[in-house]
Amino acid sequence: MTQTGTTDYVGLIRNGIFKENTIFKLALSLCPSIAVTNNLRNGFLMGVAVLFVQVMVNITISLMRNFIHPRIRLPIFMLIISGWVTITDMSMAAFAPEAYKQMGLYIQLIVAFASILARAEMFASKNKFMPSMFDGIGMGLGFLLALTVISFFRELLGKGSLWGFPIIQAKPLLILILPAGGFFAVGILMGFFNWMSMRNEKRRHPDRAA
Amino acid sequence: MTGKDMLKITMNLVVVYLIGGLILAVVYAKTSPIMYRNAVVAKEAALRKLVPEADTIEKLGDWTVHEKHAEYFVAKKGDTVIGYIIQSFGKGYSSYINTLVAVDKDFKVRMISILGHAETPGLGDEIESDSFKNQFTDKDIDHLKVLKTETTEYVQAISGATISSRAVTEDAVRNGVDFLTKTVKGEGSDDADRHD
Repeated sequence: MTQTGTTDYVGLIRNGIFKENTIFKLALSLCPSIAVTNNLRNGFLMGVAVLFVQVMVNITISLMRNFIHPRIRLPIFMLIISGWVTITDMSMAAFAPEAYKQMGLYIQLIVAFASILARAEMFASKNKFMPSMFDGIGMGLGFLLALTVISFFRELLGKGSLWGFPIIQAKPLLILILPAGGFFAVGILMGFFNWMSMRNEKRRHPDRAA
Repeated sequence: MTGKDMLKITMNLVVVYLIGGLILAVVYAKTSPIMYRNAVVAKEAALRKLVPEADTIEKLGDWTVHEKHAEYFVAKKGDTVIGYIIQSFGKGYSSYINTLVAVDKDFKVRMISILGHAETPGLGDEIESDSFKNQFTDKDIDHLKVLKTETTEYVQAISGATISSRAVTEDAVRNGVDFLTKTVKGEGSDDADRHD
């Protein structure tokens, strides 16, 4: 359980990016992390959309936390999440049609993200406005970072391009952009991320056994 | 559960649904006319892009495909007809794919354009890529067929998105071209020879 001091906003953001990274540490929302990361642009845009929804949902739930009866908190969280996703979807379609053309498909998917519901339940429903907002920013940034890294490698190795621009001329490893390759990429990167953080941990506390 | 709990739960749900519903209604009321206008502008731009050398693009009529309303157009340069454009739908993996197909006056495909769809991000949405769409240029109705192997004679499926590729090629585009051939040709040669 995350219980950080009310003023440690940097710590909250670091927590979301490293210690409780949605994909690499909590292993939540793996479905989108595999489905949309076969090119860099998609992965990045999805991350941005999630970041926005996560922050808005955390803020709303934090403000309403004393009003919601604990027995029906989950349906209410779902309602708030789908409300925000729908608002995002409709406003983008109206005011940013060009961006919506590229991101529209992903925005509706966000309703079903375990990571957003998990943060609502574990953090925002128990914390005040400001910490909840920064938790949302941290978790959203962590998700954005993870998707960007995964899609970077998948597009580079699977298609030989980045953001649609060709980079490598050799025949790419097609499997990496197919769903099976998504599991490989996420697994290998998750292993690498955890190995790195374990090594850091050891360096910081050399006396403590790993 | 006490009566007080039940009351509070009821109140919770009523309030959240009401406020949520109101907010969504307001957002929808504000955004839907803009969305509609955007769609009209996008369609006009797409039509222009498909036949850039045309002076006028006139609507010829309406038709229905997959129980959806669609339109078809004639593109003219001066007074000569240089081609036709038809809107068509194909049943894809997770949506109906809204497509515009431009043909020349011999009913060979000039270019296609995807107006809207909700196919799988990263796989099915590759139907919007130029490398897929460019395959349609100069294909007649007999060559609107999807193959999974490398081909230039037919249309090559997108890896991981065969259903979406087929929906565009063998459903939307082929039906559109078929309809145009029958309708427009039929009208043009009305007095010349009738086969039926």
